[in-house]
Amino acid sequence: MSYSKENVESIVNNGISRRSFLKGLAASGVLSSFPGGILQANEDLNTKIPYLGEKSYQTFRNACPRNCYDTCSIKTYVKDGVMQFIEGATESTYTRGGCCVKGNSYVKRVYSARRLKFPMMQVGGKGSGNWKRISWDQAMDIIAKKLLEMKKEDGTLLGAALTKYSGNFGITHYGIEGMFNSIGYTTRLAGTPCWPAGIDAQNLDMGDMWCNDPEEMKDSKFIILWGVNPASNSVHSMKYIYEAKKKGAKVVVIDPVFTEAASKASQYIQIKTGTDGLLALGMAKIIIDANLHDQKWLDANSKGYKEYKAYLDKEIKLDNVSKITGIPLAMIKELALSFAKAKPATIWMGYGMQRHTNGGSMIRAIDAFVAVSGNIGKYAGGARYGHLSTWGFNYAALSQPKPEGSVGYTGPEGAKGEFAQVGGEKAAYTDRFLNINKTARELINAKEPKVRLLWVACKNVFAQDFDRNQLIRAFQQLDLVVVADQFFNETAKWADIVLPVATQFEEYDVNVSYWHYWLTLNEQAIKPLFEVKSDLEIAAMLSKRMNQLQPGSCTFPQSVDTKAMMVKEFNPGIYEQFGIKSWEELKNGPVKAKAVIPYADGKFKTPSGKFEFYSDKALELFGSALPTYLEVRKPYDKFRMTSPHSRWSLHSQFQNLEWMEDVHPEPYVYINPEDAEAKMVKEGDTVAVFNKQGLLRLKAKLTDNVQAGTVLMYEQWYNNNIYNVNELVDDTSSDMGAFKTGAPGVALHDTFVNFRKL
Amino acid sequence: MQTTSRLDDVKHLRDIFNAQNSKELKVAFDALNSSIIISEEDLEVQFNRYFVGPMEPIADPFASIYIDDPDVVMSKSTLHVRELYETMGFTNPLKNIIPDDHLGVELDAYYQLLYLEEAKEITYLRELRHYFLHEHLSLWVPRFIARALEQSEHDSKAMIFILLQLKSLLIRETTTQGVTA
Ligand code: SF4
Repeated sequence: MSYSKENVESIVNNGISRRSFLKGLAASGVLSSFPGGILQANEDLNTKIPYLGEKSYQTFRNACPRNCYDTCSIKTYVKDGVMQFIEGATESTYTRGGCCVKGNSYVKRVYSARRLKFPMMQVGGKGSGNWKRISWDQAMDIIAKKLLEMKKEDGTLLGAALTKYSGNFGITHYGIEGMFNSIGYTTRLAGTPCWPAGIDAQNLDMGDMWCNDPEEMKDSKFIILWGVNPASNSVHSMKYIYEAKKKGAKVVVIDPVFTEAASKASQYIQIKTGTDGLLALGMAKIIIDANLHDQKWLDANSKGYKEYKAYLDKEIKLDNVSKITGIPLAMIKELALSFAKAKPATIWMGYGMQRHTNGGSMIRAIDAFVAVSGNIGKYAGGARYGHLSTWGFNYAALSQPKPEGSVGYTGPEGAKGEFAQVGGEKAAYTDRFLNINKTARELINAKEPKVRLLWVACKNVFAQDFDRNQLIRAFQQLDLVVVADQFFNETAKWADIVLPVATQFEEYDVNVSYWHYWLTLNEQAIKPLFEVKSDLEIAAMLSKRMNQLQPGSCTFPQSVDTKAMMVKEFNPGIYEQFGIKSWEELKNGPVKAKAVIPYADGKFKTPSGKFEFYSDKALELFGSALPTYLEVRKPYDKFRMTSPHSRWSLHSQFQNLEWMEDVHPEPYVYINPEDAEAKMVKEGDTVAVFNKQGLLRLKAKLTDNVQAGTVLMYEQWYNNNIYNVNELVDDTSSDMGAFKTGAPGVALHDTFVNFRKL
Repeated sequence: MQTTSRLDDVKHLRDIFNAQNSKELKVAFDALNSSIIISEEDLEVQFNRYFVGPMEPIADPFASIYIDDPDVVMSKSTLHVRELYETMGFTNPLKNIIPDDHLGVELDAYYQLLYLEEAKEITYLRELRHYFLHEHLSLWVPRFIARALEQSEHDSKAMIFILLQLKSLLIRETTTQGVTA
């Protein structure tokens, strides 16, 4: 043989033979004779230290920035510049050393062969599938020229639109909005498809959305998980719920669907979809009638209790409550009374419940019930929905001034979104806001000027927005669509230019949660792969090119370092809240905010300073001052369809990884056996699910977990499947959302369909 | 192909897989002397569909995909190749940016090793080159070629030509220059 395998492997792996081999190599003249290519001769060949075949681990702090309650603190192990594995940080009592099935796939996600690697341009038209590589300089040149041309022709940059949402909730990622701020007044897809109706409801009631620390739940005596399934979607919260249950607390799940959380609870109550508000009103009536309400707290801390009680007395008939909710009256009474007797007791409301045409009113009704029971402002109590109380960063990346002389929209300014609450100066012009929940329609209809350029970041429009056919039309009429992402998805398919974006392991950032109270540093752990760049670097490159072409046309810094940008987000308020002197302390691990019990001091940020059963603002905006019973949308087809989150993906993220597809290979429609029988559908049959919006073909699974009259399909993007449940969803709004987030939410779960066997 | 030199063949194929734009790709492709007439843009569009993306390409040009895990780069075999390069006296300016086992990088290493022997008559690394060829390249490149050729529906003459050139290079290297015993 011309080589000996053993010999070579000993040279590579054995310190001593490797050392002498390298010495010989240095003497052989090899190094000066290599012709050079990608690989270069190593002039600093180290033959002195015997090679040990083992390079040591470096560790880095990271966070999971996905749109997930848990925002895990992560410790990343890197060897020779390559991520080896990650683990949940042990310093956080919330993450407590473990991630979820999604987080555990991060190494595979970062090194997925499917990552976008280079900036590319679609040359045969949108959707053609003909792609060419372009350099970053070329990409920025095309985009910058288009922007400047539009500005010249339209007199404004309102023809440039940005749609960005929850793909990465790191604070510096608001630099994407910052990039759009820095070029002038532009068009924004505003609002949130997620939780806006509930945000409005809580703000009307309490002047804020502010929940107790989830870790307190371990000491709750009664927990209602109302339309929320933490066993799938906030796995780290479950340990507190288990602990409480072990200590004797009752855990009740109220949900139209028998979820995994329901299977772990003390009791499961199946409720008819969209009637939760009525149940809460009925429960309040029951405890008031039984004199178990907290009159003292109500007297001191609430406004409009009298009117609310009068409403309950007059309008709420318990027999009706039972009939409409589908829950036996005795069960409702038992639930209400035992909740009222247990102290502290708490309710956790999920985000699905408010995705109805009466969603905000239902959250208000539940808030009111918790208030009546005297559990607001109490340790381990509270009406839990979410919070942004640890989000008081500087938003330095976001806050970029407009170039001098910028001209914008002269219509009224509204709220822009829920997270970055930066006070804007009152200006003569504003950006133009289009409703993110009606993206397709709004893009098509926007006039004077029409939208010509769309930038998509941290978002997969085609997986999460509604009305696919209209979306294709909307995208096709745009001059230039830029999609900045980590993976090639359905939205990228309709782009002109795709830009490969860094993962959180390839950049610095800082993360907090909308649920727990931990603060986590996100360090750059590895070099960005291929030609990927962070969103901030992309903004800087665009700024550079724009300023070359037209000095002063963009105010974004022309070069950025994600670490320096991250440091700029900290302020004394954050340091004080988390009890640290400098962000550098976070290198030792995540830290938790000093404990505060929301509203324990009886101070509410409502106009009256009290908990408002009666809200003038609600009357003004939504036509009802009180949390009243509002009937849910009337069916327009035979079956209700709900589309909750799956545990295997975060919206469209993670589901594209091949191994995730192994455990969760294809979408199903879940049908109650009774309904299936009527339609002669058997387990595994392929069915068509259809309505006035569209039609989907998929396999059926029969289960009692969904009630008769309802079908269930998980929302998410399946990599090799055009399945998207949103094709059946119209964009009908929920009742609230416009107050605090700029646009109402979507009544996703008020979708109706029919199905038949194929 | 028989008329060009062994060294040139590797070099042109290397340059094809390392091309960063249409122009570089076309120059390298034309150097292979095929009779195929194709525009720069068409060549690149086809090349990207086969090997680059952004959509899932027909055949990913990374060893790890064929040896370790069909979905992941930068895995065990990548690091094995990295160790080999280091032992051969190379440093890689693209370390941790482009996986060390990308076909273009591997062909670059192979070309440079061959160059030492052919042009400089230095044989110090010959054994390592053979090892690299037989114990690494031969483990995955044939599978890579087979996967790409299977997708005949795309029927790209230029891509088929590139793949066949690569195949014949590999066959010649392994049979006439490699293990004889
Ligand atoms: S998806 Fe949620 S639970 Fe999973 S790792 Fe990320 S933050 Fe943690």
